[in-house]
Amino acid sequence: MKVSEVVMGTIVTIQVVRRRSKAVQAATDRAFGWFYEIEERCTRFDPQSELMQLCAQTGVPVVVSTMLFEALQFALMMAQESGGAFDPTVGRRMEANGFSREHRTGQIICTPVSPEADVSYLPDVSYLDIQLDPERRTVTLRRPLVLDLGAVAKGLAIDMAVRELAPFRDFAIDAGGDLYMGGSNPRGEPWQVGIAHPRRPGQLMDELRISNKAVCTSGHYERGPHIEDQRTGAVPNAPLVSAALPAVALLSATVVADGAMLADALATAAFVLGANEGLRLVRRMGAEGLMVATNLVRYETHGLRHAA
Amino acid sequence: MPRVNCRKLGAQAFYRIITRWEQRAGFAPPVTAQNRSARLHLLAVTESGSNKGKKVANHLVALSSAAVMAVYAAGYTRTRAAADRLELQSAGRRPAMPEVPEKPGDASPVLEPAPGPTVATLPTLPKPAVRPPATPAEPADSAGTLPPPLPPPEPATMVAAPAPEPLAVAAPAAPAAAVATVWKDGTYTGWGTSRHGDIQASVVIEGGRIASATIAQCLTRYSCSVIEKLPPEVSVRQSPEVDYVSGATQSANAFYYAVVEALGKAK
Repeated sequence: MKVSEVVMGTIVTIQVVRRRSKAVQAATDRAFGWFYEIEERCTRFDPQSELMQLCAQTGVPVVVSTMLFEALQFALMMAQESGGAFDPTVGRRMEANGFSREHRTGQIICTPVSPEADVSYLPDVSYLDIQLDPERRTVTLRRPLVLDLGAVAKGLAIDMAVRELAPFRDFAIDAGGDLYMGGSNPRGEPWQVGIAHPRRPGQLMDELRISNKAVCTSGHYERGPHIEDQRTGAVPNAPLVSAALPAVALLSATVVADGAMLADALATAAFVLGANEGLRLVRRMGAEGLMVATNLVRYETHGLRHAA
Repeated sequence: MPRVNCRKLGAQAFYRIITRWEQRAGFAPPVTAQNRSARLHLLAVTESGSNKGKKVANHLVALSSAAVMAVYAAGYTRTRAAADRLELQSAGRRPAMPEVPEKPGDASPVLEPAPGPTVATLPTLPKPAVRPPATPAEPADSAGTLPPPLPPPEPATMVAAPAPEPLAVAAPAAPAAAVATVWKDGTYTGWGTSRHGDIQASVVIEGGRIASATIAQCLTRYSCSVIEKLPPEVSVRQSPEVDYVSGATQSANAFYYAVVEALGKAK
C-alpha cells in the first residue's frame, strides 16, 4: 500500500509492503498525523505555531511541549557537536534571503522581531543564545532571534512515522528525498536507494542497499541556496578558514544513519562543514556518508557499502 | 528527561536509566516484542560505538533515540483523532483530514499549543503521564486494540470530503488571520513546473478559505509514482531497479506554483 500527501513543504510518500487493511490504514494515518502535527508546531511560516510563539518572547523562560523541547535539545546538541556549523538560529537569515514563502498559500512571511529587529542580523546570534531547562522543560531565548527547525523537524517526523509503522517491518517513508527504509522491499531484498546526481537532474549518482536505516541528502541543487552557515553568514560555497584540512565545498551531502533526525541534521552540518570536516563528523557519530564536492569529486566513508 | 552524560556511562547503565525514568514518569510503553527490539537496538548502537574503539559521539545518537521515544510516548492529539475517525468509520475510506483549528475541550492540555502568546508562568508542570502512550497498532486487524479513545470523538472532524484519489491533502492550517484576500468558492486547478516534471494542483475553496489542496496530476519523474495514470513516457524512472531516490526535491516548488496558479483563478 502506498500513499502520498503534501506536508512540510514537500511530498511525503509512505509505502507499506502489505495489502491494504484497516491496521495498515490506521498506522499510515497516524504516521501522516505526526507529519502534520510536527509541521504545525515547528513551522517557521505560521506566526501561530508553537515555534514562532516561542520566538516572540525573549528573555523569559517559556514552557514548551515535549516535542518542541526534544527537537530543540537535539538541535542544540548537534550545534555544539558541529562547532556551530549546524545552528537552529538561522531563521532570520533565511528569511532575509528569501526563504520565507509559505508553501501552501504562497504568502510571504516576515517575522516581526521587534523592538530592535536589526540585532538579529548580527552574526553573533547563535545557538549559545538559547538556554534549555530540562527539569522544567523551558526554553529561554537570550536575544531576539528566529529559530528554524527545518533540518530537525522533518527527520523527527520520519522517526515518529517509523515507530508507527514498525509493526509491519517492511515499509518505506519518503519525505521529499529524505528516506527511511524499513526491512526489505516487495521483492524481499534490502531496499535499493538511488542517490540523486547533484548536477544532472533526474539521474542517479549511486545506488545503495538500505535496510532499517535513514538516508538523508542535503544540497543546494534543488531548492536553491537554503542552507546557511550561521558562523560566517555565508552560503557555504566558500571554503571555511577554520578547518584543519582545507575545506572542500560540497554540492551535496548524503548521510546514512539509524534515525532520520540524526541523518538529516548530520547531512546539513556536513554540507556546511565541507568534505573533510563533514566526513569526520559523520564518522564520529557512527554514521555513513557520501559527499560530492563542487568539482564532482566523491568522498565517502568506508562502511557506506555495508550500511545495510 | 534526566541529564545523562552518556560518554561516561556504559550502555547498560544508560538503558537502565532511560527505562527507569520512563517508568517513573508513568509512560513506560508496554513491553512488546517490537519495542523491546527497539531498545536492544538502542543498546547495540551505544555498545557498538564503545566496542569499536573509534570515538563515536554516543550521546548524540542516544539523545536522538531518547528524543524519539519521549516525543512518541508523550503522544499527540492527532493520533487520537485519527484513531477515533477510524473507529467511527466503518468503510475503509480515507477522508481528507480536515483542519480543526481549535478543538474544544481537548483532553491533552500538555501538547496543545498555547493559544495566544505563550505565558511564561508554568503551572504545576503537567506530566504527560496522564495519558497512556498511543501504543503502536499491532498488526492484528481489529479496531479494538487501538489506543483508548479518550473524549467522545468530535463529529466535527467528520467532514468526509470525498477523496477518490489517495493524494488527499490536509487543508493548510489556514493562516486565516493574515490572509486578506478572500477567494471565491469552488474548485480550481493550476499547473506547476519543475525540472523533474509537472504537477497539477486542485484547490477547493470553501467559505473563502482553502478547504483542501490536492495533487490532481503528477508528471514528475519520481517521488510521486503513486499515480498510475501517468503518461508512460514521463513516468519512466531513471533506473527501474531503484525503489526510492534520496536527494533534495523540487516537487514542492512545483506544487507551490500550481497552487498559486489555481488561487489566481479563484480571486
